[in-house]
Amino acid sequence: MAKGPSNSGETPDDGSALGASDRSPSLDPNEAAIYVDGLAKTFGSGESAVTAVKDVSLTVAPGEVVGLLGPNGAGKTTTIKSILGLILPDAGTVRVHGIDVHANPRAAYEYVDAMLEGARNDYWRLTVRENLRYFAAIRGQDPDAVSERHDELLEHLDLAEKADTAVRDLSRGMKQKVSLASVLAGDISVAFLDEPTLGLDIESSLKLRTELRRLAEERGLTLVISSHDMDVIEDVCDRVVIMNDGRVVVDDTVEDLLAGFETKGYRISVRGVTDEVLADLQERFDLTDVQRTDDRLRFEVAADTETFYRLTDTMEANNLDVASVETVQPDLAEAFVEMTNGTRETSRVNEDGASTAQKAPTGLSPAGDGGDQR
Amino acid sequence: MTTAPGGDRSGRDDRSGTEGPPRFREPERTGGYYHLLKAVVYRDLLIWIRYPLNAALGIFMGVFFFALMFYGGTLVAGQAFSDSIEGLIVGYFLWTLSIGAYSGIMNDIQSEASWGTLERHFMTPFGFGPVVFAKSIAIVFRTFMTSSVVLMVMLLITGTTLDLNLVTVLPVATLTIAGALGLGLVMGGLSVLYKRISNVANLLQFAFIGLISAPVFDIPWARFLPLAQGSAMLQRAMRDGVHLWEFEPLTIAVLVGTSVGYLGLGYAIFGLTTRRARRLGVLGDY
Repeated sequence: MAKGPSNSGETPDDGSALGASDRSPSLDPNEAAIYVDGLAKTFGSGESAVTAVKDVSLTVAPGEVVGLLGPNGAGKTTTIKSILGLILPDAGTVRVHGIDVHANPRAAYEYVDAMLEGARNDYWRLTVRENLRYFAAIRGQDPDAVSERHDELLEHLDLAEKADTAVRDLSRGMKQKVSLASVLAGDISVAFLDEPTLGLDIESSLKLRTELRRLAEERGLTLVISSHDMDVIEDVCDRVVIMNDGRVVVDDTVEDLLAGFETKGYRISVRGVTDEVLADLQERFDLTDVQRTDDRLRFEVAADTETFYRLTDTMEANNLDVASVETVQPDLAEAFVEMTNGTRETSRVNEDGASTAQKAPTGLSPAGDGGDQR
Repeated sequence: MTTAPGGDRSGRDDRSGTEGPPRFREPERTGGYYHLLKAVVYRDLLIWIRYPLNAALGIFMGVFFFALMFYGGTLVAGQAFSDSIEGLIVGYFLWTLSIGAYSGIMNDIQSEASWGTLERHFMTPFGFGPVVFAKSIAIVFRTFMTSSVVLMVMLLITGTTLDLNLVTVLPVATLTIAGALGLGLVMGGLSVLYKRISNVANLLQFAFIGLISAPVFDIPWARFLPLAQGSAMLQRAMRDGVHLWEFEPLTIAVLVGTSVGYLGLGYAIFGLTTRRARRLGVLGDY
């Protein structure tokens, strides 16, 4: 599976993308399922002009599942709609399976469809099956010829029992699944899904994630998922593209992105602390989230193994009674927040191989494994 | 008909040399324009039926307003009114047809935008044009059904008989309301762009009365207005029993020319407005 440009790490002060939007996409235009080069869009003109997308470039390989993240107003929707030809960009090239979407949209739409409006993406007065048949037909399918495939689709999405129920009589989560089913009903090879798990309960969300992975792996379906649910992105996606202020600021695999934040952190609670000891600890270690009540101290510290042992030696030398130690590790949500805030400084390897040790991550979240108890 | 709508995918750039199997599964295309039209007509009827109160009220109000005119007119003008009842029925029938086609396509586009389904119709291998054309056919078909019911009730109420030669009435009426469809496409396109234009759109419905009753025999250029030529021909066909082949070729040519012209103009403006909406990023907004 081809990766896109790898750019995890810092966001320059000027907000420009580090890597992705500065270079050409990594795949050949005809090899990529989605190829975007130099996409730009500004709405309005003069003083009221709003630049929504600035020089965005990315590629998605066939069968790849890519998560598109970004805060509100980051340019995700404009990017997606520009790729789909629903918005005319000011500049840039967009290809789906090698076909220029803006020059030859009909041929491109053979392959691509999108769930852009969540549950409001189909007809609520029609039944589930009627929706599937209709959207298959307007995408060039004979609904009778593909009815078995529709049955299979309904089965996989747990909609079989509701096939003849009007969509408006279904729950919010079920409507969401119908919307997805109606997109997949047209036998496509590339799908854009905006918040596919919105409104789903945990069990349904987990099943849907499994189904999306199955579609990608078994049918070679290329998926671009825009979601604020980091668990979905982390579970389903091979790669993450993070946008901020109209630019791609990160384009990397989920694994590599999290690896950039792998410096371990610890949340430590001790007793017997004095003002002098606290001052000493703060001078020697980078303590954060410090909370002190009488002789009890609670703090977080980002530290590698060596630093951690120095810290424990220091605490022992000062006769501190260690009440608890928890490891804290970052998750995708933390990575996303830090990347889009543009405040993070981290240890990363430059393209020339030189390591630049900088500040460790802050705001780490508990690992959830209970941590090391002492 | 099983023509693949996207043709031979000739839009793909050949620079890489597409030798060997593709790295993705080519979607199967089992349907064509026939399936598109069938699906669009069927969906239109289903949606119409599934708003039963709206559907029933539409027909009831059509009959109610005619009954009000008929009984009111008879009360006020007596025999003079009854003498012109055939012309009134034909005019009213054409008005309901025109309003149905005009507001049908306009409301359909507005509804699709508010339902979030308009963009999905844009993203089809058939292209937006054929899909909108299929929608127009569906709306004309449904409008004929409902207006025919209103016509039958009008004939029953008044005890009037008209020449309903379908070979003449259907093509003349269809061509006539094609102009109304064109105007509906213009307003639909403007509503995609400007969203709320109902005040202007509703006013245009009353203009249809003037167009339908335009004196094309006294003012020759009036026949080039939307609906006017078709209205005059429909009056002659339904009141006087004139058959399609009995009209002068020039008369038919003006009907075909104005109908195709206004429909084409409407479609062109619809294309421009949706392109502008894509430029502004408001195609699917409502």
